[in-house]
Amino acid sequence: MAKKTYDLLFKLLLIGDSGVGKTCILFRFSDDAFTSTFISTIGIDFKIKTVELRGKKIKLQIWDTAGQERFHTITTSYYRGAMGIMLVYDITNEKSFENIVKWLRNIDEHANEDVEKMILGNKCDMTDKRVVSKERGEAIAREHGIRFKETSAKSNINIESAFCELAEAILDKTAGRESAENPERVVIDRRNNEKAPAYKSCCS
Amino acid sequence: MSSLGGGAASNSIPTISAAVSSSSLASKTSASNSSDALSSSNRQLLTTIQIVQQKFKENENVLSIFEAYQIIGQEHTSRILCLVVSVAGGTYAVFSMAASRLPPRSCSDLTIDKVFPLNESFCMGNDRKGSISQLQFTLKCSDEQPVKYFYYPLSSDNDVVDFDTFQAQVTSAKMSMVLSPSESTALSFAWVNDYRQIGEVKQEMKRREHEYIKYKDFTIYCATYNVNNKSYIDSPLHLWLAASEDAPDIYAIALQELDTSAKAITFSENRPDYMWIMKMLESVHDKGEYEELTSVRLVGMMLTVIVKREIRSSITRHNVKTIARGILNTLGNKGGVAVSLQLNEANLCFVNSHLAAHMGFVEARNEDYHGIVKGLVFDDELRRTINDHDHIFWIGDLNYRIEEPPGLQLPVARSTAHSAEILLKYDQLRQEMRKGNCFEGYTEGPINFRPTYKYDPGTDNYDSSEKQRAPAYCDRILWKGSRITQLAYNSVMDIRQSDHKPVYAVFRVSIKTRDDHLYKKVHEEVLKLLDKRENESQPQIIVEKTIIDFGMVRFNETVVSDFTVSNACPMQVGFEFKRKDPPLNAICEKWLRVEPWKEKLMIDSTKSIRVKLSANVDSITSLLQKIRTTNWKFDFDILILQVENGPHIFITVTGEYKPSCFGLSMETLCRTDRPLCEYDQQQIKDLMNDESPEFRVTMPREFFLLIDYLHKQGPKVEGAFTLDSLEFKHARNVEFNDIRDWLDTWSNNEFPGTPQAAAEALLMLLHLPEKPLLDPYVDDLLKTKTTAEAMELVSLLSSPKRNVFVHLCMFLREGIERKYYNGMHVATIFGRVLLRSTKKSDDYYRDINCREFMQRFISNGEMSTLSSSSSSASSATGSHHNHHRATTPVAKMKNSASNASLSGGSTAAVDSS
Ligand SMILES: Nc1nc2c(ncn2[C@@H]2O[C@H](COP(=O)(O)OP(=O)(O)O)[C@@H](O)[C@H]2O)c(=O)[nH]1
Ligand SMILES: [Mg+2]
Repeated sequence: MAKKTYDLLFKLLLIGDSGVGKTCILFRFSDDAFTSTFISTIGIDFKIKTVELRGKKIKLQIWDTAGQERFHTITTSYYRGAMGIMLVYDITNEKSFENIVKWLRNIDEHANEDVEKMILGNKCDMTDKRVVSKERGEAIAREHGIRFKETSAKSNINIESAFCELAEAILDKTAGRESAENPERVVIDRRNNEKAPAYKSCCS
Repeated sequence: MSSLGGGAASNSIPTISAAVSSSSLASKTSASNSSDALSSSNRQLLTTIQIVQQKFKENENVLSIFEAYQIIGQEHTSRILCLVVSVAGGTYAVFSMAASRLPPRSCSDLTIDKVFPLNESFCMGNDRKGSISQLQFTLKCSDEQPVKYFYYPLSSDNDVVDFDTFQAQVTSAKMSMVLSPSESTALSFAWVNDYRQIGEVKQEMKRREHEYIKYKDFTIYCATYNVNNKSYIDSPLHLWLAASEDAPDIYAIALQELDTSAKAITFSENRPDYMWIMKMLESVHDKGEYEELTSVRLVGMMLTVIVKREIRSSITRHNVKTIARGILNTLGNKGGVAVSLQLNEANLCFVNSHLAAHMGFVEARNEDYHGIVKGLVFDDELRRTINDHDHIFWIGDLNYRIEEPPGLQLPVARSTAHSAEILLKYDQLRQEMRKGNCFEGYTEGPINFRPTYKYDPGTDNYDSSEKQRAPAYCDRILWKGSRITQLAYNSVMDIRQSDHKPVYAVFRVSIKTRDDHLYKKVHEEVLKLLDKRENESQPQIIVEKTIIDFGMVRFNETVVSDFTVSNACPMQVGFEFKRKDPPLNAICEKWLRVEPWKEKLMIDSTKSIRVKLSANVDSITSLLQKIRTTNWKFDFDILILQVENGPHIFITVTGEYKPSCFGLSMETLCRTDRPLCEYDQQQIKDLMNDESPEFRVTMPREFFLLIDYLHKQGPKVEGAFTLDSLEFKHARNVEFNDIRDWLDTWSNNEFPGTPQAAAEALLMLLHLPEKPLLDPYVDDLLKTKTTAEAMELVSLLSSPKRNVFVHLCMFLREGIERKYYNGMHVATIFGRVLLRSTKKSDDYYRDINCREFMQRFISNGEMSTLSSSSSSASSATGSHHNHHRATTPVAKMKNSASNASLSGGSTAAVDSS
């Protein structure tokens, strides 16, 4: 009796400086809740969340990493297993934004070449404390050819859609791989995709 | 059986089979009903059996539960076994559930992982061979492998029965079904399929079915006609097929005795007769648009299902099957044909059967019925039997006759004046059903029409031939299942071509239908719930501390720290320290020991983990290398405690290394301006990374102190350098640390050890730096043929290394000369130390090569060569390093290896700055 109740399993990784809100983002996505108490992650933690994309049940296993500098060498060893990486900075923290470049270099060095990436500018609810404009976030994402979203774990903005978009990008790749055997199906998938923003399907 | 009486009872659940004793059912039903009413705050009050009950639907009652476990790989995995009865099916099954915690706190802690219907092939084996500590038994059904379970002699939970009780209950449940002969053929285990071979999501969806299922009425029209071998019927069939007011949704039309002339039998007896199907389609209700769904034929029997176009898409599956019951059960002139279909969420079955003929053959007809029920299995994915359907309609020429009591024979049956009521008293089918000999659980509506057999074709007159067959209700329509209401049941007198009259019945059936909107909502909730369950049941371990601070760590001293890890979840948890990526390829750095590195934690248990740190001869080299190269704050290590299927916890091992001379390069030692005990880790790190050619002294004071001491011992140094000196036996004694401190404080006190210990310290001083003394020319030096050639290269070494090398050789040569130690042994061990390979592939020949190289420098015969070349070395020093002070000690040694020069140098030479 299969414990397997999903069609695909995607492993995602959350990285970024300590305190940018990685754990909160994950908690919002998996438990639909927010807690402002700061418990810094000492290690690697994961949560699972099942989403339905294009009629496929996809189980996301999302790994939350400790952002502290002393753990950097160790956390990079987890990059290799990830199919998607969320790179988070805090729009109220200039340093965390500047470090994006460092994190990107880290990804290049340690992650799979075809890993899907997305940059998240978190805490976008704190408009009065903003120090990194959305344009700068978009610019750096464009420069590296990566998806970008501003999010708020606190106000639940773009959290679900960010994960679903990343998962969708991975699914595209997976489907692309399958397409050699079954080109017809992919064409149909694409068409569905155009009509409705696909992330809607898993947002409830 | 009152239900035979009419439509009134048709909505009720068919009578519970006698096998299920009503007392056993009643005993636990309350559990299922009351549990729903409890508010969530009261949930913890639920008993285990009530929680288990929540996994099942109404009408499925948990009779008893038993705690067991399975051994999968190395793991003990808890299982709850329960005996469940289906009131509707009248059958039992044993379910095996995985429990994420014990006792379970809610039904979401349980997942059904295996189902064993107590059918004929079920077997519970009690293997007494197992030891007392591993009591075991097996469960087996069908062709599957027996599944092995273990159990504990005692159970903690009051709800849980002991093994003997459980086994007795299971055995008696199975016996009760087998002992009831009439039921044995009709046992339905269909309900079990809801829990079988399906994932957690589907299980949960099934359980919550009531939240998204509604019932939608469909009209089903069943019709049967024995056409008496007429190949072409020119009759007003619409009288038979369009007798209902509204257009039916589904037609099931059964024919018997289709044209079975010689031609038909040999050629096309099993191919549906399309002439007939065309005729049917022309004759169905004209208010609907119809199409044929499927037809199935076996010789004279044909069953055609015709559906309204608009409901065609609601039928998601259909299968057909035939079963022959004629002569030798193969001929096919008797038997049955059947259609199985799924309409929305309901499974429907239509059977057309032609049972054994003739008045006296009641038993043969009963046997035919049982043969069909038992033998007819659809080729669908679940291999459904007739009884595995929610709604069953049995149509056909069942051939049961009216058995008049003696003396009343002809007048009763043949008289048209007698009402059906009187005739039916003598109807064999109703009599047999009452006796429980056939059609168990089936209902037939009231009959208000004349017997349908046997007429003179073309007339409404009963058989006038010589045989004068008694009239009978051969053609019948019965049903089984809930939510069925019969709207009409009649024969059609005006169709006269056969010796039978056609019969039809109209039903309203409430079909289980999924509300797509609600379904989606429940589905989303279920996914969320299962994710939540999985996230919450993730194994968790609490680690007492994630930072282990050893404080000040000194060379050659082992420090120990213990911390506890506790199981923080309601099940057994495994953990292990994660092996790091190459090149380390181990769970921790060389200077650490972690024990145990892998462990299992039982529920509520705590284990202690010991971390040992020793910066000793085996590890100091790599430790200093790590200190030198770490950019961020230095930690001794970060251990990754990996919880099986759970988080990875980082445990930082930190502290401060107190520098010592051991392991530092000659260059670094020559940069110190005070004893090493006055340096801290950061300062020594900076010193190690200093690459300037400036040195404070010509050679390390620590080296000089040792050489000086040894030199002064004269013959007492005998045996100081032997082949096993490199095992560093002295260093493994605590006394050695006095020597460490003597060196690290530049002590003026007497040397706190033996000459042998001093000799070992000297070797360590030379052996423990990251690079060998003759680096980077080791390989080049080994290729040299002459001492002069070698001295050219030596002169290129950094001045501290060069000075140490030359000084060392002079010292060793003197010792050998005076026969304090074996020249061969000295050459061997110093060859290994000074020419240490940075690659790990030392081989025998290289070892000899190194020894021979050293011999050239330390043996007597070469003494003059060394002297002359060392002078060239000293001049080379000047030119290469522009470091005039270096010439001083070398110049002194050049003259002679005399006592005086060495002892004099002990202060003067070193402090030349
Ligand atoms: N205002 C606001 N605060 C947030 C948001 N996300 C996280 N935080 C806060 O930022 C702090 C760090 O969050 P955490 O998730 O622990 O960061 P991590 O170290 O990246 O995992 C916590 O105090 C959170 O309450 C957000 O979207 N808006
Ligand atoms: Mg965190």
